[in-house]
Amino acid sequence: MTNVLPSNETVVVISAFALIYMLVLLRKTLQGKFDLYDFLMLSMVAIIPAGFALFPNLAYLASHLTGVVFPFVVMFGALFLVVFAFMHNITARLHKLERQNWALIQEQSLLTLELKAKESGKSGA
Amino acid sequence: MTVVQLGSTDTCRSGADAPQGGVPRVLLVIPCFNEEASIGDLLGEIAATGRPYHTLVVDDGSSDATSAVAGARSPVARLAQNLGIGGAVQTGIKYAARHNFDFCLQIDGDGQHDPREIETLLNAYARRPTNITIGSRFIDNAGFCSTRMRRFGIRLIARALNTLFNGGSITDPTSGMRLLDRRAIALFAKTYPMDYPEPISLAWAMRAGLTVGEVPVEMRARETGVSSIDGLKSVSYMIRVLGYILLARIARRS
Repeated sequence: MTNVLPSNETVVVISAFALIYMLVLLRKTLQGKFDLYDFLMLSMVAIIPAGFALFPNLAYLASHLTGVVFPFVVMFGALFLVVFAFMHNITARLHKLERQNWALIQEQSLLTLELKAKESGKSGA
Repeated sequence: MTVVQLGSTDTCRSGADAPQGGVPRVLLVIPCFNEEASIGDLLGEIAATGRPYHTLVVDDGSSDATSAVAGARSPVARLAQNLGIGGAVQTGIKYAARHNFDFCLQIDGDGQHDPREIETLLNAYARRPTNITIGSRFIDNAGFCSTRMRRFGIRLIARALNTLFNGGSITDPTSGMRLLDRRAIALFAKTYPMDYPEPISLAWAMRAGLTVGEVPVEMRARETGVSSIDGLKSVSYMIRVLGYILLARIARRS
């Protein structure tokens, strides 16, 4: 196995991307657009490549342990895993929201109807 | 006209939940989406039956004057957003559960269902109580029976339901004309399918141990509008419905 280390340019570009992206995420989290779970999961897109670029020996160790020849395959594998875990969670949350939205709309229409019935009962009395 | 004597029916054998005595209270749930052209006539026909049915029109976010037309003759529950047929029907079922109705009968707002057939369903229940009584187009094959392709699809769904579940021998699982008794009302007020509700609700009901019966009815071609399930959508419909039925079979009884 040849341990090719990333060039300085690669480390700088990836680190800069990770830093800027994390700052953007942090800003949106502070604004309340994301919660802590979203922040952690989305920040993996920056943390994982940065980890692989800054600690190449760790990357080679991970690829060796998993039996994968190229570290970048392990990196993309890890990213896919995070993305799917995030998607799984979002799908479940979306479905729950859809159900709640459906129930709220039904409830609102039934309450309006009840209110109308009460009002017409009062005016008729 | 045959008078329904629901108080005298034996409900123990079938597990159906008939009223204990007195005149049963029947709620007709009419889901509508842009049916201003047909809803007035339908409500007129219902009134012409001379029976003391309660009606609830559920306006599923129509952009036309459905609510205004229906509101002149019936209470209207107006949904702020279009939820689809499942959401509209469940709104009516929830209303039936809260107002303690003995029966809830779904009838389409597009004029396909003849209100005179309501009596047919109630009489069928009086003779042989089941938790859900479906008005089936395919027992007598009279009246409008849909296209050949659709009939094939409906047969396939019916076969899947009859093979995978006990509790009924269904010929028309997609019929929108169905009578629910108290037990079915209680179940569907709690949980009702969002997509393709007619066949999937039957699967859920049979999974929960409810019984399903059928009675022949004659349906008419829709007066206005077009079906939402056409062309490629019908293939997707079949796959998804069969998938949901299979899921309902695998899922544990709740």
